[in-house]
Amino acid sequence: MLGELFYIFIFPGFIFLIIFSLTAEFIDRKIYARLQNRVGPPWFQPWADFIKLLAKEDIVPAESNPKMFKVAPIFALAAAISAFLYIPLWKTDALFSFNGDLIVVLYLLTLPTLAFFIGGWYSTSLYSRIGSVRCMTQLFAYEVPLFMGILSSALLADSWSLKGIAVFYMAHPWFWLFNLAGFSVSLISLLGKLEKVPFDIPEAETEVVAGAFTEYSGRMLAFLRMTLDIELVTGSALLALVFFPFALNVHPALGFVIFMIKILFIVSLIALLRTVVARLRIDQMIDFCWKFLVPLAATQLLLNLMLKGMFLR
Amino acid sequence: MMNLTKKIITWARIKSPWILHFNTGACNACDIEIIAALTPRYDLERFGVLLKGSPRHADVLVCSGPVTKQIEERLCRIYEQMPEPKFVVAVGACACSGGVNKGCYNVAEGIDKVIPVSAYIPGCPASPKAIIDGVVKLLASLEEKEAKK
Repeated sequence: MLGELFYIFIFPGFIFLIIFSLTAEFIDRKIYARLQNRVGPPWFQPWADFIKLLAKEDIVPAESNPKMFKVAPIFALAAAISAFLYIPLWKTDALFSFNGDLIVVLYLLTLPTLAFFIGGWYSTSLYSRIGSVRCMTQLFAYEVPLFMGILSSALLADSWSLKGIAVFYMAHPWFWLFNLAGFSVSLISLLGKLEKVPFDIPEAETEVVAGAFTEYSGRMLAFLRMTLDIELVTGSALLALVFFPFALNVHPALGFVIFMIKILFIVSLIALLRTVVARLRIDQMIDFCWKFLVPLAATQLLLNLMLKGMFLR
Repeated sequence: MMNLTKKIITWARIKSPWILHFNTGACNACDIEIIAALTPRYDLERFGVLLKGSPRHADVLVCSGPVTKQIEERLCRIYEQMPEPKFVVAVGACACSGGVNKGCYNVAEGIDKVIPVSAYIPGCPASPKAIIDGVVKLLASLEEKEAKK
């Protein structure tokens, strides 16, 4: 009982996750700045932002529905944090594992988007409403290729639990090389989930101020930003486990370090992608997802089915 | 314990000033200089400064221009939409005292006639270096104020 509480609240749960996700945000921002030939923020910048927002005044707009407005950020944060607990970090076994937890993690990563929608919708400001509707429109575009990309890897492993996937790829090394197309599809879809450039259409600051977050201030804004950071880490961890499943059966400490490096590698790929591209329009984004990402993910599925028939009978 | 918490919060406020840029009737010269200060050449993110679109997210309201009669009401509204603690910086001669518009029938002659101002940055237009210097001095004064308490 005590051990489980330790896992949930301290390591690798709540406190570790907060420290790690703020570090990931720093690395993301620093790489972004360095690629633009800037010096970039100091290492404590995400901490200063977070603490400052926690200490600021909370404003609830008179027009809004206060209950939904206040609950949405906490709901989003809780969903993002609990998704992390199902991901194996230093061995093939996760803290909490059952058959089908891959679907649960994907579902928990979808919940923050829904919470952003609800929060934005009930703040009853025009900008928030446009932003939250864009959030949902975008969800229908990137969610399908993301699921197809990740599930194609799971299909090859013949298991819908993250533990099963890890065990399969440990037993069949180098099979992950076949999944690289699925990895690129999932990485690009993940950009949409994290609302980063080129898919930052919901919070496009030149058009809709800050999208669904427009009316949020103080502590609730801090929670929303923290949710996005934790989604960044959890999404990267999920991709790292599903698409780069190697070195999971070495010494736990070494395995943990290698896994952290894999996560930070994916975070830096995301930072690179958001530097080199510009924001798309919402219709261009949906066209791109359905015309290019989904067929690519379908090809990956087909490839994995063929591989399964040829090698894994 | 309370003292330490207060110190950490003051530190965080000084290290992370998010700004909101608002044109209160300027001729656009000061606005161009403010934008120039935010470009990679001067890189204000070194000091944690980020430009925010929403007044709800901002800590520092950066105003340029003598407040025209039309914009006076809107300036008050934007100021009231910002969460506490908030600061106002007046950029340029017009924003400080009315500048060349002093004596005109349609201006309030300075931001401080409408809302409280924490820092004045003179210049016509104020150069990006002056703007950065002004913001840094504002933050330093915060630290001093906190030390005196």
